[in-house]
Amino acid sequence: MKPVYLQSAQLCSALGENLRDAALACHKGRLPQPKWFELHERHEQRPYLAVAGAPLDLRQRLQQLIRTSSEGGALDDCLLILASTTLDIAAIEARVAAGEATGNQMAPALDALAEELRREWGFAGAFTLNTACTSAANALLYGARLIARSHYRRALVVAFETPSEVTRQGFGVLELTSPSAAYRPFHAERDGLILGEAYASVMLACEPGPAPLARLLGGFSACDTSSLTNTAEDGSHIDWVMRRALYSAKTKPAKIALVKLHGTATQTNDLAEINGMRRTFAQALPPLCVLKPYLGHTLGACGLSETLLLLESLRQGSLPGCDYAGQALLPLAAEPLAVAGHSLMLANYFGFGGNNASLVLQGITP
Amino acid sequence: MKVIAASKVHGRNHSDSELKAALGSHLPNPPRRTDRLTLLALLAAAPLKAHLQADTGLYLAATYPARQNMFALLENVCAQQRLPKPFEFVNSVSNAAGFHVAQQLGLQGPNLFIGAGPQVWGHLLDLAGNDLERAQIRQGLVLLVEEDEQDGFCVQALVLENGGDALSARDFVALSDSVEVVRLELGS
Repeated sequence: MKPVYLQSAQLCSALGENLRDAALACHKGRLPQPKWFELHERHEQRPYLAVAGAPLDLRQRLQQLIRTSSEGGALDDCLLILASTTLDIAAIEARVAAGEATGNQMAPALDALAEELRREWGFAGAFTLNTACTSAANALLYGARLIARSHYRRALVVAFETPSEVTRQGFGVLELTSPSAAYRPFHAERDGLILGEAYASVMLACEPGPAPLARLLGGFSACDTSSLTNTAEDGSHIDWVMRRALYSAKTKPAKIALVKLHGTATQTNDLAEINGMRRTFAQALPPLCVLKPYLGHTLGACGLSETLLLLESLRQGSLPGCDYAGQALLPLAAEPLAVAGHSLMLANYFGFGGNNASLVLQGITP
Repeated sequence: MKVIAASKVHGRNHSDSELKAALGSHLPNPPRRTDRLTLLALLAAAPLKAHLQADTGLYLAATYPARQNMFALLENVCAQQRLPKPFEFVNSVSNAAGFHVAQQLGLQGPNLFIGAGPQVWGHLLDLAGNDLERAQIRQGLVLLVEEDEQDGFCVQALVLENGGDALSARDFVALSDSVEVVRLELGS
């Protein structure tokens, strides 16, 4: 794939109101403090990582992201891709909770928000992409492919995950959320994930621009049809996806300096990723990191929120060491982890619906 | 890029049970506990099974999510303060429809789900065409699911391959005019 540059990145998350603050906190190993919600009927508490700062309505947040990432310029050469699993469901949930009866008048078309923003900002095109937890990773990959083939000159990826009650209760009922609030992917005694809220954006272009964050060199995405909720536990599909991603970037496992693992901290998905990593890298595992403890699992947004946090933290110097590395089932780095400026990195994103995706990125030293 | 097969399903006021019964004539083991979006997507995709290879990407677009499933979740969780039913929650992850189509038809390629807006055919063809040109896949199955109270439901499907001229049309009728469209009109 023709390399594509990531520019004008924004992130609002539990770790900070902007990407720089989040990366600084991550660099120092400072974990965000969760808020708690109650699982209906069971009356058990579960943690949640809400965004830092003053509450804002979704449209205000999206406007802010577009304004900042587009740097005020015209967008008639630019494709907008919205990546999210929840879209604006939090607003609908509030209406139902207030007593409004459900009905078709309540459900906006899936593309309504993208189309509204296209008209308002003058984008050349816009669509909403939802492939569960790979939504933003696929938005990056397909946005990059479309501009590399000159369908558009630029693509703006906007990824977000709002605090949806249905989502929180749904992950709770599936026994996937951590009761302890100790978010420890790949720990032998891991007890599940913590959901997180996030809003992120990045501009993709074939030219580097004044301050590129990284280059996207390639990637691959495919559907594992073995199960709707889990990927093949033997790691075979993950292995295949990672190998195809490396091939698309014209590289090989030995050239990878760092892997950002998906690492949900659920029993089966971590096991599948461990097996996938062993298949692809055998005994020569590169340095590994996990970022969900710092952002929560931001679902459809994680493909962008984690990619940006990874790149900006490395730009600030290093990723924090893992304080449970001795108990982890993969060799996570116990000490702060830095890589050379132009190193190749692999970033994994896997999700419901069998969707597995891997991206190959290259950092750029400022 | 060329169209090698197409199908279209049209109907109105059909219950999920009726859709499931209609699907039974195309698939020996249709999935259980699925939502309406999945049933509609499968109804248009299943008749094309003979044309499809494993190395096929799926590009699915829909105007709405499975709304009845979504309303059941909202009622349960937000109005009744109850836990959602696991299968309803899992189905609400909107690429569940794409998963079931890929599983039933044995498709192993990319599987994308997008919202259907005014530019939907352009986006579907761009996404599928890109993967075909880059030899990521041998075939692309594009599916558009539309349903509203006035017109009922309409599902259109195309199987794409490399070769031929660039497809400039952006509507199903023009895109499918070179092949015989498999049509399924569900009676009232």
